[in-house]
Parts: sequence; structure tokens; C-alpha cells
Amino acid sequence: MTPAVLALSLRKEFPLGWGRGRVLAVHGLDLEVKRGEVFGLLGPNGSGKSTVMKMILGLLRPTRGRAEVCGFRAGTLAARRQIGFLPENPYFPGFLTGAELIRYYGKLSGMGGRELEARVDQLLALVRLGGEAGRRCLRTYSKGMLQRAGLAGALVSDPEIIMLDEPTVGVDPAGSREIRDLIRELKERGKTVIFSSHLLEQVEDVADRVVILHRGEKLREGRLDELLTQTGEWQVRVKGLGSDQRRELQTWFRQHGAEVLAEGSPRERLEDYFLRSLPEKERR
Amino acid sequence: MCLLAALLLLLVWGSLKIPWEIRMIRQQRLATVGFSGPSAVALREKLGQGLALASLGGFRGLAANALMLQAHGAWEEQQWVRVRSALEMATLLQPRVALFWDLASWHLAWNAAVAAERYGGESSETRRRIEARKWVEAGRDLLERGTRAVPEKSLLFQRLGDLYWQRLGDYQAAAACYREALRRPDAPGYLERFVGYALDKAGDPKAALEYFRELRRSMGATPDPARKPEVVEREISRLEREISAAKAINRP
Amino acid sequence: MRESWRRIWAVAANTFLEAVRQKVFSVLLIFALVLLGGANYFAEFSFQEQFKFLKDLGYAAISLTGLLVGLLGAAQLIPAEIERRTILTALCRPLRRWEFLAGKYLGLVSLLGVMLGIMGVVFWAILRWKEAQLIGTEGGDAMVAQAIQAEARDPRLWQAFVLILAKLFVVSVLAVFFSTMATSTTFVIAMTLMVYLIGHLQNVAREQWLESGEHVSRATQAFLAAVSLLVPDFSLYNLIDEIVAGNAVHWRATLEVVAYSGAYVGVLLAAAAWLFEGRDL
Repeated sequence: MTPAVLALSLRKEFPLGWGRGRVLAVHGLDLEVKRGEVFGLLGPNGSGKSTVMKMILGLLRPTRGRAEVCGFRAGTLAARRQIGFLPENPYFPGFLTGAELIRYYGKLSGMGGRELEARVDQLLALVRLGGEAGRRCLRTYSKGMLQRAGLAGALVSDPEIIMLDEPTVGVDPAGSREIRDLIRELKERGKTVIFSSHLLEQVEDVADRVVILHRGEKLREGRLDELLTQTGEWQVRVKGLGSDQRRELQTWFRQHGAEVLAEGSPRERLEDYFLRSLPEKERR
Repeated sequence: MCLLAALLLLLVWGSLKIPWEIRMIRQQRLATVGFSGPSAVALREKLGQGLALASLGGFRGLAANALMLQAHGAWEEQQWVRVRSALEMATLLQPRVALFWDLASWHLAWNAAVAAERYGGESSETRRRIEARKWVEAGRDLLERGTRAVPEKSLLFQRLGDLYWQRLGDYQAAAACYREALRRPDAPGYLERFVGYALDKAGDPKAALEYFRELRRSMGATPDPARKPEVVEREISRLEREISAAKAINRP
Repeated sequence: MRESWRRIWAVAANTFLEAVRQKVFSVLLIFALVLLGGANYFAEFSFQEQFKFLKDLGYAAISLTGLLVGLLGAAQLIPAEIERRTILTALCRPLRRWEFLAGKYLGLVSLLGVMLGIMGVVFWAILRWKEAQLIGTEGGDAMVAQAIQAEARDPRLWQAFVLILAKLFVVSVLAVFFSTMATSTTFVIAMTLMVYLIGHLQNVAREQWLESGEHVSRATQAFLAAVSLLVPDFSLYNLIDEIVAGNAVHWRATLEVVAYSGAYVGVLLAAAAWLFEGRDL
């Protein structure tokens, strides 16, 4: 089966203008995203994540190399039909309502008529912008609402691949959890999700494979569990041990030549703690 | 590559559009001013008009009307230099509006000239007449420019003829202007007879008689009453009598 | 082709809707008020002069309004979308760049057409109102009444509108062309206005270029050639002045200028599409 995305020696240089030379944003990147996986593009700000995404989408032309989407050359109509895209900090025409935005993107994707109307209603419900919220102008939306509207727009044509550029930036923890749940749901439906983030703990929750970029170059690539598993160490979490039994266990470990690297009560993740603190209906 | 392709397209289109533009301009000139050659207006004037057209955009007409109002006010205050400059600017903005040329020449050749002759600052009558003459000539020059700007209409040729007759006493020139006006389709009918009157006034009754006879012949056996054939016949009779009387006096 | 047209229409409809919701049409109210106010000015002058003033005011207001909407609207069509990044979410769709550009331009000129149409109807109504007023005060004599009617019901009014609209289409497409290269709306407006000004002298430059001999320097010849080849001849629209001056203009001449405008729009849009195709977003 053709991969969802294939990049071969992808390179992008931006001219600085006025004879000041060029800046190298992406340096000969090879990448393969399999169908149906959740793929994370990681890296600090300025590492080239957005540039790579834009080259796959055809918004930027590679200086060298090529990219393919489901076997089609990146940037062609056939390739773009396969992708739904949500950019970082998306801005939408403020004069449109949520429903009109999704409808507009549906028409641009070649949809129309009752099929499109039904799809608009379905997506508004999915992203919890149905009813009055969907009839309000986008300029009245909060950041989270804009993000959800953008997601609905990206999904309108039911694309094979969904690309999300920093989808959780500026979104509250509950909204961020929602987006990650949505990514899992898309994966279960057989979609391929490619998303970029510099918030590593959020990627860890959902991604199957990741690539780590730095200054336009690939540092690492692989399955998360392969990359992150520290073989040679064993971690266990128990409940119900008294302090005497704990000391016994520490002694036993030392007697058998094992080094205790860390001990103590585990810490809950702040995000989980925060969500637990909210009233039930706020947790979504 | 895309930039080169775009530039090439524009250049190819450019070479195709030029003959089209030339043809359209020629046809527009033919349809409006009656001839298709290059405009008789001088290059400097063309540049000035072009810039005025471009910079004022759709407000040219309003600006010209405002100048007309300004000229009207200046006329009431007898500020003739301001009248002249306001109306000359109006003709620059809307050179194809005959009204402005007509108004301007009237103010200069009649109102300003009479005011200079009667109420001018000079104590010497001779100097006042010279000053008045300058205003009349300014009005004449303006009208001549107007006939080049609006050559397809008879009005300005007629006004020029009136100016030569009433202000300069050059009746031959007046007759020539009336003839020129009559070549335009919108010329008033009575101008036909004015040519003859002017020739007579110029002291050439034979030419006037010849003209009126030709005019009567052109009316045919059943003339249109609007062309006043009876007036023409009366003029023919009068001129014939005058010429005969003059011959009798000159006979030794 | 049909799918292309659907996408173009979707972009055009969105562009039109944006203008409507940004209350661009409220400018029409100002236009109507200006005309109404101007209709009673010059009352002490002859009826010909009163109609001339009213028509000059009407044409000026229509031209200026159209120029503002067309120029400002076109200048920010692309740069504003790039700046706000709304263009990314549109062009990541199966939408060709030239379709996006064509749709944006079509939306803008539809807006111009509707606005000018409304202004034309308002202008016509005010002329008829003025006619009734003047016939009431000065129309005792049948010939005078006829002359007043002829001034008010001048069919050349619509010819002038067609020409104004055609001119605005060309100015707008010039702005769109520059906007595909520029990042700043100010630059686009400045460039478009410069070409607009030079375009009114293009025929002079063309005559000088074609008729100039060896006494003109090569640099001057090159400049004149560039102006002649690359700049539209805006003096062709001086037919509008002929109509305003009360002179007859044949519909054939008008339609030929419209055809010229249409051809120019097509060429500039194609060139703009090529430039836009190569642009990084």
C-alpha cells in the first residue's frame, strides 16, 4: 500500500532578498508516514515543522526533492483532496458564521447540496458548535471555538489524512484533551493524522511514530515505544506497602545487585490533576 | 520562471494591443472631431490635459464647474485677470465642452475689453483702446484654440465670426468663419445669410451678390420657407441696385 | 470545467459576502445624499448648466466611489489574506491558485457592478425628479420643456456607466496583478495609481515612440516603448468625457472599448495567476 506521505530529500531554501543569500529551512528530509498511523512532527520553534507541512500541502515549492501524498505528487489537486489541514493559530474570515465557514470549505472541496448541509450539521455537533454557536460570527468566537471550527473545516470532505499544525497551542487543558481524544478517534476510523507540536508531553499521549527535527534536519525517527523505552530498567507501581515492607524491598534489591534509581510516591500529571479538579460537566 | 512567463505574456499582448489602440483612437477622433489624424493640440497641452484627466479622475467636471462659478464671481467684481485664468483652467479640464470656450471668449473680448476701454486705469484714451484691443485679441486666440479642441461643432466658429465682425471689424474673416461653421451639421440656418452680409459689410458687394445668387440657386425651385428665400431675394435685388448705381456714378 | 467554475463561484460569493457584511454598501447612502444635496445647487443658472452640474456631480461621485471600492478592495484581496493567513486554509483545499484569484476578482467586480447599478438607478431617479422640478418652473414653453426632458432622459447616461465600469474593471485587475507580487497593500495602491496616471498619457508616449526619429536617445525610446507596451491606454475612456460634454458617442465605439477592457482583464489575470503560482505562502 502506498504510504500516506512520502518525502524524498526534501529541501527548502528561502531567499533573504537584496543579494543577502538564502536561509536553509529544511535540509534533505526523508520521511514516510504510513496509512492509519498518528505521526508526530516534533521540534523546537524554527525547526522546520511548518515548512515541511506546507511543502506537503503544496503551499511551498521545495527547492529540491519531492513529496507525495497517497501516491500523488504533493500540491496537485488529487493530493490536496486527500488532506484536511488546520494551520497554527488559524485565522478565519471573521464575517462568516461557524456553519458558513464549514460550508465554504466544503464547496471549495467540491461538495454541495444536501450532502454538504448534512455534513455541516454533523461536524458542528461533533465539535460542539451546533445550535446558536454555529450561527454566530467567527469574530465572536473564543480561541478554543476557533480551533474547533477549524477542525470541522479540515474534516468537511472526510479526507484520508488530517494535518494539524500545533493544534493545542493557546488552548486550555480541557480543550487540549478534547483534541487529543479526537485524534485517537480519527485513528480508530482508519485516518492518518500528522500533527506537529513543541509540547512534547501532549505528543506522547497520542502519537504512534514521531520524527524529531532541529534546524531543518532530522535528528531521530521511530515508534514512540521503541524510542522512549529504556531497556535494562524496570518500573513498577504498587499500593498498600507499609514503611517496613518498603525497607525490606530496598534491602532485597541491594542484595541482588540492583541499583534503585528512584523511589517515592508517584506524581500525577498536572493536566490530569487539573481536569479532576473541575466540576464534572466542565471536564467534558 | 513564472515571472518570465508573465512578462513574456505582457510583452506579446503589448505588441498586439498597440495597433488596436491606434485604430480605436483614430476612430474616436474621427467620430468626435471629424478627423482621424494626430491631435492638433500641442504636446505640452496634451501632457497637461492627460495629467489633469488622470489626477482629477471623475472630478474634472466638478472642478471645471467650480472654476466657472469662480469666473462668474470674478466677473461681478470686474476682476478680469481672475476671470481669464479661471476659465482657461476650466478649458484645460474639460476641453471638449464648447460652453467654456464660448463663455471665456465672451468675457474677454466683450466684457473685459469694454471695461478696459471705458473704465480702465489709463488716463489716455489711446492707451485704453490699446488695452481693450489686447483683451479682444486674447478672446480671439482663445476661440481659435477652442475651434481646434471642438472642431466638429459650429458654435465656436460662429462665435469667432461674431468676434471678427463685432469686435475686430474684420468682415472677410467673419465671412470665412461663418462658412466654416456652415460646414458642420449643427449650424443654425440663418448663418447662410450672415456670410453674405459679412461680405457686403467687408465692402465687396460683388462677392456678396455672387454668394446670395449661389445661395438662392441652392434652394431650388421650391425652397424651404425656413431658409427665408424672400430675404435672400431681397438682398439680391438690393445688391443689384447698389452695384448698378455705383457703376452709373463711376461712368464718365 | 464545471467543477472549476463551481470553485471559482464559491470564492466569488464569499468575497461578495465579505464586502456586504463589512457594510460597503453604506457608502451608497452617502452617494444618494450628496446627489440630492447637489441637485438644488446652481439653481440661479440656466437649466442646461444645472443639468451639467448635476451630471458632473453624479459621474464624479460614481467614478470616485467605484475607484475607491475597486482599488482598495482589489489591493487587499491577496495581501490581507496572506497576512491573516486565511489564504492557507483556502489553498490547502483542492482549489487551484488561478481559480482562487479568478474567484476573488469576480467577487470584487460583481460588487462593483451591483454598486454602480444601484448608483445608476438613484442617479436616473434624481435626474427625473430634477426634470419634473424644472418643467414646473421653466417648462411653460413647449420647446424648453422638450429640451429639459432631453437633458434629463439622456440615454447616453447608461453608455457612460458601462464605460466607467469597464475602466474600473481594468484598474481593479491592475491592483490584483500587483498584489500577487507585493506584501504590502500600500505598495499595491501606489503602483496601481502610478500606472493609472501614466495610462492617461500612454497614447502620447505611444505616438512619440512610434514617430520619434534618431534624435531621441535610446533610454528615452526604451522608456516610451515600455510604457506603450505594458501600460493600458486609459485615454480610450475619454469617451466618458465626450458624453459628459453632451457629445454623441456611438455604441460601437463604446463596445469596442469594453472589449478592449475585457481582453486586458483576461491578460492581466493570466499574468497574475502565473506570478501567484510561483509565490511561496
